[in-house]
Amino acid sequence: MSNVILKVNNLKTYFFTRRGVVKAVDGVEFELKHGECLCLVGESGCGKTVTALSILRLFDSPPGKIVDGQISYDSLNLTECSSKQMRQIRGKDIAMVFQEAQSALNPVLTIGDQITEQMKLHLPLDSNHTRERAMTLLSEMGIPSAERVMGYYPHQLSGGMKQRVLIAMSLSCNPQILIADEPTTAVDVTIKAQILDIFRELKAKRQMSTIFITHDLAVVSEIGDRAVVMYGGKDVETAPVSEIIGKPKHPYTRGLIDCLPDSSKSAGRLTSIPGTTPNPVDMPTGCTFHPRCPKAMKICSQKEPPETAISKEHKVSCHLYT
Amino acid sequence: MVETSGDIVKGVGRCMPNRTRLINYYWQRTRRNKLAIFGLAFIIFLIALAAIGPLFTLDPTEANFEETNIPPVRFTIERSVYNIETDDFTTTKISGTWKHPLGTDSKGRDMLAMIVSGARVSLLVGLIATGIAIILGTIIGVVSAYLGGWVDNALMRFTDVMMTFPFFLLLVLIVFIFGPSLAFIVLAIGLTGWTGIARLIRSESLSLRTREFIVAAKALGASDNRVVFRHLIPNVISLIIIMATLSIPGVILAEAALSFIGLGDPTVPSWGIILESGQHTLDTAWWVAVEPGIMLFLTVLAFNFLGDGLRDAFDPKSNV
Repeated sequence: MSNVILKVNNLKTYFFTRRGVVKAVDGVEFELKHGECLCLVGESGCGKTVTALSILRLFDSPPGKIVDGQISYDSLNLTECSSKQMRQIRGKDIAMVFQEAQSALNPVLTIGDQITEQMKLHLPLDSNHTRERAMTLLSEMGIPSAERVMGYYPHQLSGGMKQRVLIAMSLSCNPQILIADEPTTAVDVTIKAQILDIFRELKAKRQMSTIFITHDLAVVSEIGDRAVVMYGGKDVETAPVSEIIGKPKHPYTRGLIDCLPDSSKSAGRLTSIPGTTPNPVDMPTGCTFHPRCPKAMKICSQKEPPETAISKEHKVSCHLYT
Repeated sequence: MVETSGDIVKGVGRCMPNRTRLINYYWQRTRRNKLAIFGLAFIIFLIALAAIGPLFTLDPTEANFEETNIPPVRFTIERSVYNIETDDFTTTKISGTWKHPLGTDSKGRDMLAMIVSGARVSLLVGLIATGIAIILGTIIGVVSAYLGGWVDNALMRFTDVMMTFPFFLLLVLIVFIFGPSLAFIVLAIGLTGWTGIARLIRSESLSLRTREFIVAAKALGASDNRVVFRHLIPNVISLIIIMATLSIPGVILAEAALSFIGLGDPTVPSWGIILESGQHTLDTAWWVAVEPGIMLFLTVLAFNFLGDGLRDAFDPKSNV
């Protein structure tokens, strides 16, 4: 279980805009182990999605650019691959599930066309086999009468079904790694439960290595093995999910957990972290979290905290622990 | 886990499960527009006329100086002929005959035959020139929007320059340089007519480009070519159809106008050429100019009605 399949090392993705350099991802590090579900957690704008897009190099370039860091996959450094190599990796080795199924499906092509497209690109199968495989995948995703659904257009399906179609699509070429960008955010709670079930099953049956992006700690606690908490384009805490939830170290992680409504305490206001995410053009100096941190010290605004290992699996970047 | 969504599928399934039904759906929407249906019917009639009409008519090029300027059926005109011997005008009455239902021109050619073969020429001009303009406009518009950056800038400034060029003057210039050949006229109209289409396609593609399904297609490992041709262009196809329908009459009229001012191809009897030949004999044989004029009028009207109807049908916001 400990073999690392994807390693992101000091990744920096900047966007060079007219208003300045947006440091969307600024030195993120994590490892994805075979068969595990790694969660990227954080508020909106903390760089989760850009990290995911950087792995597949799918952000708009220009203005975006990976200025530093390595993404190692299968003896390749993805930041240095040619665009042709990237095309072969996308979908076949690393597949992505997008947040909004509604807009991630092409409205003028049938579901069948869209599911088989990726197989046509990557697999040496004829059209009968791709169709068969697509239908099998759809039924595996719990879509009834798959044959009929193949002929449907996206607008004829419900939101949950569209999300399942997207997952089926991303699995069609047996990818090594699945990146899911907030797949449960745009759907209601019932569908959310069903989709989490699917991911759980993927892990159990296929030992799928998944990077699961979410802002929802409840989801993390349900399906995650390990979690990377991101803030201001950096990873601030990395630990097994049980430790993140049970023994959070970083004040930001603690803040996030305190924000979860507690059903045992009725009444009273919900707690929140004061302030908002920093302006990515003008990041605070030192630790980017210090203006909002309840435990901020003098050093926090001056020096960037180094990464400290609490235990073998638990790393945190905070001056409290240095 | 899935019973509820199963019901949803069944419910939706009754509406329209596949491609043919989608075409059907647009056909139903278009059909509600009576004028569009009239336009479509006339265009079908015209295409049939152009395709098989010449098999049944007389030879449109055969001159017959015994039967010049015969009016259409049911019309009678008086013609005065100067007689040298008597030094007097003799007036004769000439009536239309079923041999030449639409009359003959000043060279005794059958008008019906000329109109029918003119339909062939005018339609071909309209379709080919529009085809060229649509293909150019779509490629330039989509490429410009998809690639963005300096490519977009260069292509759009080029479009601006093309737009500021006086289109008609350019045509006159081309005819002047290359001579009045129909092929050159068609090519010239096509090569200058793409600008508006390119701009419209670009603006539509710009908003499509940022949609997630385009990123998703790239995430599947699709190449730029594939994204453009399989994901972008099918999404602007309704726009292309509407633009094509609406630009065909303009092209037919442009060719007619060129012919009318004497720059048309004299070897091919398009409606514009017939119209032009009729303008000299308006006082003695009005039908030579009026008949192709009516055909031009109806054709342009039919394409415009159909184009408007299609636009309403394709527009999801309109309730036809």
